[in-house]
Amino acid sequence: MKPPVLRCRHVSKRYGKFTALRDLSLEVYEGEIFALLGPNGAGKSTLIHCITGLAKQSKGSIEVLGFDTVTDFRTTRRLVGLVPQEINYDPFFTPLESLMIQMGLMGVKPNRERAESLLKTFSLDEKRDAYTRTLSGGMKRRLLVAKALVHGPRLLFLDEPTAGVDVELRQELWQEVEDLRAAGTTIVLTTHYIEEAEKLADRIGILHKGELLLVESRDSLLERHSGRSLEEIYLELIRKAEGRHAA
Amino acid sequence: MSAIALKTLFLKEIRRFSKVWLQTVLSPLVTTSLYFLVFGVALGSRLREISGVPYIQFVVPGLVMMTMVRDAFLNTSSSLFQSKINGTITDVLVAPIGAFEMLVAYVGAAMLRAFLVGTLVYLVALTFTYFPLHHVGWILFFAIFVTATLALLGMVAALWAEKFDHLAIFPNFVLLPLAFLGGVFYSIDLLPEPWHTVSLFNPLLYMVNGLRYGFLGVADVTPEASAAVVLLSFAVVLAVASALLRSGYNLRS
Ligand SMILES: Nc1ncnc2c1ncn2[C@@H]1O[C@H](COP(=O)(O)OP(=O)(O)O)[C@@H](O)[C@H]1O
Ligand SMILES: [Mg+2]
Repeated sequence: MKPPVLRCRHVSKRYGKFTALRDLSLEVYEGEIFALLGPNGAGKSTLIHCITGLAKQSKGSIEVLGFDTVTDFRTTRRLVGLVPQEINYDPFFTPLESLMIQMGLMGVKPNRERAESLLKTFSLDEKRDAYTRTLSGGMKRRLLVAKALVHGPRLLFLDEPTAGVDVELRQELWQEVEDLRAAGTTIVLTTHYIEEAEKLADRIGILHKGELLLVESRDSLLERHSGRSLEEIYLELIRKAEGRHAA
Repeated sequence: MSAIALKTLFLKEIRRFSKVWLQTVLSPLVTTSLYFLVFGVALGSRLREISGVPYIQFVVPGLVMMTMVRDAFLNTSSSLFQSKINGTITDVLVAPIGAFEMLVAYVGAAMLRAFLVGTLVYLVALTFTYFPLHHVGWILFFAIFVTATLALLGMVAALWAEKFDHLAIFPNFVLLPLAFLGGVFYSIDLLPEPWHTVSLFNPLLYMVNGLRYGFLGVADVTPEASAAVVLLSFAVVLAVASALLRSGYNLRS
């Protein structure tokens, strides 16, 4: 059998005495859209960082397509793309230059045609030679997505890609996510727009204080709680967990 | 190892300092040339020979070394620190790039900038005073290992620093005073005790005098002693910088 695209085994992450992830195990399968939901501070970004190389788990192991993210980081990082939660941009380079550089950094021969086609896909072609700092917030966000795709990742992480983005742009972005999935990319995303996750995701994971409360396919989750929305189910689970923690 | 990634990071670092060449190349060139004009040309014409060479020539290698030390340090430290602060280091951290490639790319680009400014300073000096180079081998040796050492030190400083103030400590309160006291403008033979002996504990003295030996064939310490101190410094900062990068210190949380 093929290994899952992502396999986290008993992953814990501590920052000093604070435990951000507690014994977390999770698998994500080829071609699915997996939505990781949870309140602020639940550990969503921490988990994504451990997988993508921005952080290192304290315990446990993480594999991407069967390759270990610590011992085989060169392989896994070429398979993975990350759209980080925080917008960042290099003031020295234009969008076109940024994409060309990112291709090279990812170990792919910089290819101008590919960079230009990505700029077109994300409606940035008019800004390709502008100073990146003159781009609007939404444009910078789109540039981040384009950058995460330069090397054609098999597994793409989108960490709150729609935070502070207007409705129209959110729709466009989710359309792009659907297209990517249709082209075979596996996607893990976090968002605070639960109704959007409900529409988009094949499977849902709910994280709370570093622990996975639930991992289930959207359809079976909605079926089990017939007639209720994902948002209602989510809120009830979080409230229950809060109560348990308080007790 | 990915050769494409290494090359890209190296070229990116070169483009970074080229895009702000006024700050990174012209500014140190002007500052150092001013030192040369004031001390070497103007005051130097009133001074006797020092260590058997005209003062105007004596200061040239010292000034070249001083600017190379500073530029090599500043290039890695400001580049790495800025990308840490503005978050663009993420682009490198998610890439299949190991500690080795990071070291080679950042240090290589910093050395290139230092050589460029150093050479330009030397060319400015040549328009005022011509002298044959005494030993090109030693010149290359000291230029290479000193700039590599300072570039590595710049990386260590950038990793350690949490705010701009931390970073400014090194060039202003460590490197500049140590370079001045390391005999850029004088021979420590002119110093009374205990200052003569104290000076011998300053690593910058060996860097300045090593290069001076290569240029002029005169120095306060033998080129072998200079080489030993430089190689030791290089080995120490190389070990520290690689250990920090490999552990992801202040980079990967
Ligand atoms: N570098 C860090 N050092 C210390 N604590 C951190 C660090 N990064 C995250 N945390 C803490 O870990 C917890 C989870 O954070 P995060 O993963 O960003 O949550 P989420 O993305 O779900 O909002 C938070 O309490 C946060 O303060
Ligand atoms: Mg987050």
